[in-house]
Amino acid sequence: METHIAFTHAPIVLPLLALPSREVGACVEFSGIVRETENDRALAGLHYEAYESMARIQLARIFAELHAAHPCAAVTFIHRLGWVPVGEASLFVRVLAAHRGEALRFLAEALDRMKADVPIWKRAPRPSSW
Amino acid sequence: MPVKLLAFAQTRDLLGFHERAIDCAPGESPRAILARLAPTLDPAALRVAVDGEYADWDAPIGTASEIALIPPVSGG
Repeated sequence: METHIAFTHAPIVLPLLALPSREVGACVEFSGIVRETENDRALAGLHYEAYESMARIQLARIFAELHAAHPCAAVTFIHRLGWVPVGEASLFVRVLAAHRGEALRFLAEALDRMKADVPIWKRAPRPSSW
Repeated sequence: MPVKLLAFAQTRDLLGFHERAIDCAPGESPRAILARLAPTLDPAALRVAVDGEYADWDAPIGTASEIALIPPVSGG
């Protein structure tokens, strides 16, 4: 499986779709967008940080384990760092597989595991009264 | 033995630094190191990583060069 992992301080630009083989029949994409409210608080955006070297190791392991359960052809993972305004993507994941079932399961489980174990943090800006 | 201690997100705020060089013994555990350097921090509220891998708070660090304090993650 091809694995592409990237962190960027710039707005996420969706990579061009490149098929690793002619056996790919499903492309599933997910974008995580910063919403205007978080815990009932209005926000202008969120600040993201990562322990990037460890995050890359963790993500590669998670993707390899998921590939064993749900074989896929490629996964592309891009996470934004720094300030991300409301309405912009903080995360993009694309999974390519022969069939939609594997791709959808891979994507759903990858997101769950990222949120549980990968050292990335989002933080709301501190109110001026703090 | 020099070791790099890393702190992230709210843990960095509590400690007041992101990275600090500390001196540790190979037989020390992350729990003992945290108790020595930041006794007010509760290990139960954090995970610890040693050389980029989640580790046991009570396992000796051995020849590790980097210890990271990992508050609850929230990527995505």
